[in-house]
Amino acid sequence: MTSVRPVVAGRTDRARHQRPALPGAAARRGRGARRSERLAPYVLLAPAVLVIVLLRLWPLLLGVNFSFTGDGDRDGTMVGLDNYRELLADPLFRGALRNVGLLVLLLPVAVAIPGLLATFIYLRVPGHRFYRSVYFFPAVLSPVIVGAIFNLLLAFDGPLNTVLGGVGIGPTDWLGDPDVAMFVVVGVHIWATFGMALVVFLAGFATLDASLLDAARVDGASLPQTIRHVIVPSLSRTIQFVFVTTMIGMLTSMFGLLYVMTSGGPEGSTYLPEYYIWIQQGQMNRPALASAASTVLFVVMLVVGLLQISLLRRGVREA
Amino acid sequence: MKQRAVWPAILVAALVLGGCGSASGTRSSPGGSDAKLVVWDWKSGEPTAAQYIEKAKADFARKHPGVTVEFVAQPHDQYYTLLGTAIQSGKGPDVILFNGGGQIRDRVDALLPLDEYVAEDRQRLAGWDAFTKDGKTYAGPVTLQGHPIYYNRSLYEKAGLDPAKPAATWPEFVANCAAITKRTGTKCFALGNKEGIGIQFFLSAFGSGVLTPQEYDAWIAGKRDWTSPHVKRIFALWKETQDAKLNSDGPNSTAMFNDAFALFQSAKASHVIGLMSDIGHWKDFGEFLTADKVGVMRAPVVVPGATPSLPFDGGIGYGVARWTRDPKLAADLVRSLTSTDALTAFHTQAGAIAADTTIDVSQGGPAVTTIVADLASGKPALHVALSSRTLDLMGRVSQQLLSGSITVDEAVRQLAASDQAG
Repeated sequence: MTSVRPVVAGRTDRARHQRPALPGAAARRGRGARRSERLAPYVLLAPAVLVIVLLRLWPLLLGVNFSFTGDGDRDGTMVGLDNYRELLADPLFRGALRNVGLLVLLLPVAVAIPGLLATFIYLRVPGHRFYRSVYFFPAVLSPVIVGAIFNLLLAFDGPLNTVLGGVGIGPTDWLGDPDVAMFVVVGVHIWATFGMALVVFLAGFATLDASLLDAARVDGASLPQTIRHVIVPSLSRTIQFVFVTTMIGMLTSMFGLLYVMTSGGPEGSTYLPEYYIWIQQGQMNRPALASAASTVLFVVMLVVGLLQISLLRRGVREA
Repeated sequence: MKQRAVWPAILVAALVLGGCGSASGTRSSPGGSDAKLVVWDWKSGEPTAAQYIEKAKADFARKHPGVTVEFVAQPHDQYYTLLGTAIQSGKGPDVILFNGGGQIRDRVDALLPLDEYVAEDRQRLAGWDAFTKDGKTYAGPVTLQGHPIYYNRSLYEKAGLDPAKPAATWPEFVANCAAITKRTGTKCFALGNKEGIGIQFFLSAFGSGVLTPQEYDAWIAGKRDWTSPHVKRIFALWKETQDAKLNSDGPNSTAMFNDAFALFQSAKASHVIGLMSDIGHWKDFGEFLTADKVGVMRAPVVVPGATPSLPFDGGIGYGVARWTRDPKLAADLVRSLTSTDALTAFHTQAGAIAADTTIDVSQGGPAVTTIVADLASGKPALHVALSSRTLDLMGRVSQQLLSGSITVDEAVRQLAASDQAG
């Protein structure tokens, strides 16, 4: 919008100066042309606005609307906030929200891993080209394939426990122990997806001013000092982007892994709102309750995303 | 930051206000046309059901030449999600395959009662109860589904036990398991409870060995006394089998389908609570365990006075959507799909115990003969009487019982609360 306004304003100003010189029909023609010029930007924007409103906001609105209706016998009738009350009273949904909190806490790890590895690749550790392709490789695998592979590796009688048993460490039920399973699934998710964040970091590094690094080197800065005082501030926008996209990825793209690896179990310990929504909609035949959970998830993501941006901006400013 | 926060806040407010509008959900749109019927299922794409579908189609074509029937095979794991969407929009197939019990009872609003159309099939077919709600029948049964306890006869022989005489009491059963584990190194039960299905099978398979016949009938009739010591005994038994290391390792991370069954058919466990249709049954084990190596036993008596019986209900069945244009035509298709010819082909090819009691099953092997002989004295499975919500909760509390993070009393208390809430 800012690029359009000055042009329109400029032409209007010029037109104002010329107005007294235009008589009758010519003046009307001039006014028509001016109006069409004024409307032009809105006409040009209209397709995009229509797409956003019809295909994004309207379905969202329908979903929210649906969340205020009932399920089963009360299908199609307004029930006010009943679905939301039920959600808050459901220990399973509360557990899913707690797991969202856990994901937020684990987020720095999910961002630090690709960030550090990208730094090493950028600083050209030996074999950096090889690492770059290998790190990205899991990003092209479907979560279902990744889940199936790790199901085999992490099975109670699987290879990991066999190796651990070989060195005298007792077997762990990686996917069957409620205290462990969520961390394992998040770990696998990070393994499977950090390649994409790594690529974003490398793109960020491409815009980094190399002279700053040279200066740091000349000044005798150590690697941690270089990372803290040169790389992190220079990549603040990239880090912000990766933080937000990784969070969204964790909240909305872990369904495949959860479905294949734990099915929300054991004991409901790996439920996330997304999985809860699917269970309620598909298995429990409660689409309105699922819509309410979707709305809550949407709000949670909005709040978490905005908080992240504000905290990160403040952090970068202080750095 | 302030400005950035304003817009999302306005958006959320607009959405919430928008939510105060009217409810949605119209269900008047028609499915199919007069000359075409659409069927949704998860069976018609399977090779073992090919002959069954062909026979049913031929039967229907003979009665209604000129009517096209289109089978749309949906993926089973997405089936009820897709169906839910179709039901919500009021558009979808004319004829729909359902699992018996909660899955169809939860969705009867979208179905037509079929009683007037299927009266002639009442006697010939069994398993109607699983497709009935409030006295009305909503589907014609195709198979019977039950939870027999299968055992590996070879392992019994290796352990010096008589495979023709499986244990009749719980102490005897535990002793047999100890002998098998000692001689062959195999576990007693192949258990998969990753999705919480293991407890459903266990409850139904062993329940008749614990509850008195009166308690059993009352449970099925909806008068469930969760404070009864016998009900608690079933869940205590579930925990005991784990504590006594009778189960295969890591049940809370082992999927019942197909991991637990793989343990049984590869002789890493001597018993498994299986099914009578679909997968996990005598024929499905056939690749590794031939039919003559698979034995079937009734639940051992855990509490004196109990009378063990085969737990079974209607397995899968076809219903008719409320929005179909010609209910009689769609009901006729259901009748073709449950005709003797078609169900005979299903039994022969897939190995399922079909709902038609007039089918000759003598070629199926000893396990099928035993199961079919037990049908006469069989009773509905205990878990099928529970709602989907209670079953879902039972899956989770059963995992907590296995890991020791909850007591039997607490588990039963939670289940009672869920069951009473409906």
